Amino acid sequence: MLGSILSQYARSLAVLAIFLLMVLVEVLDIRDAIYPGLESFFNWMNQSSWIGVIGTTYGSVYATVEALHLLSMAVLGGTVLATDLRLLGIIFKDVPSETLVTGTHKCFGWALLMAILTGIFCAAGVANKVYFMEVFWIKMLVLIAGSCFMLFIKQPLLTSRPHTQINPWTIRLVAVTSMLIWFTVAANGRWIGFS
Amino acid sequence: MNENGKIDDKTIAALSSAAIILGGLLYYWIGEGQSTVELLELAYGSFKFFNNPLVF
Repeated sequence: MLGSILSQYARSLAVLAIFLLMVLVEVLDIRDAIYPGLESFFNWMNQSSWIGVIGTTYGSVYATVEALHLLSMAVLGGTVLATDLRLLGIIFKDVPSETLVTGTHKCFGWALLMAILTGIFCAAGVANKVYFMEVFWIKMLVLIAGSCFMLFIKQPLLTSRPHTQINPWTIRLVAVTSMLIWFTVAANGRWIGFS
Repeated sequence: MNENGKIDDKTIAALSSAAIILGGLLYYWIGEGQSTVELLELAYGSFKFFNNPLVF
C-alpha cells in the first residue's frame, strides 16, 4: 500500500520533502550556521583559484566571459518567453504548443549550461564581494529552484501528453511561474552589477 | 488527469511546486516594492512617482 503510493506519487512527495527540508533549514537556523564557513571558500575562489586569478587580472577576459554569460541568458530568456507566451496563448498561435515545448528545450538546456559555466567564472572574479550580497544568494536560490522546476516538473508534465488533455489553468500557472522565475534570476543578476 | 479521472503525479507536483515558487517570488517582489516605497518616503517625506528633486 505504502510502496504503491510512494511509486505512484514519487514526484509530488519529492516536492513536499524539499519544501519541508527548506522549512527545517530556516526554522533550525541551519542557513545561519553554514553561512560564515563559506567566506573562506569565496575568498579562495577570488584570490587563489585559477579562474579567480584570471578574472581579477585580465579585464578583457572577464568582459568576454561576461558577454557570453549575458548572451546565454538572452538565449535562455528567449526560449522561456517563446514557450511560456505560447502556452498562455499570446504568441505563435499558429504553432502547436507541443512543438515549441519540445523544440526549445534542447536550446534551453545548452543556454542554461553555458550560463552556469560562465556565471561561475564571473562570480569567482568578484567572489569576495558577492558573498556579502543578499541578491546574489537569492539569485542562486531561484536559479537552482528554477532549473529543477524546468527540468523535473514543467518539461515532464508538458511532454507527458497533448496539452489539450492538461487543465488549462495548470498550464497557465506553470507558464507564469516559469516566466517569474527567470525574470527574478535576470533582475537579481543585474542588481548584483548595481550593488 | 489520468484515464481513471484522478489527478496524476506530474500534475500535483506541477501545481504544488508552482504555487510554492510563485508565492515565494511574489512575496519577495512585494517586499522589495514596499522597502523601496519606505526608502523614498524616508528620503523625500512622501512617495510620489517622478519625485526625484535632482530631475526637476
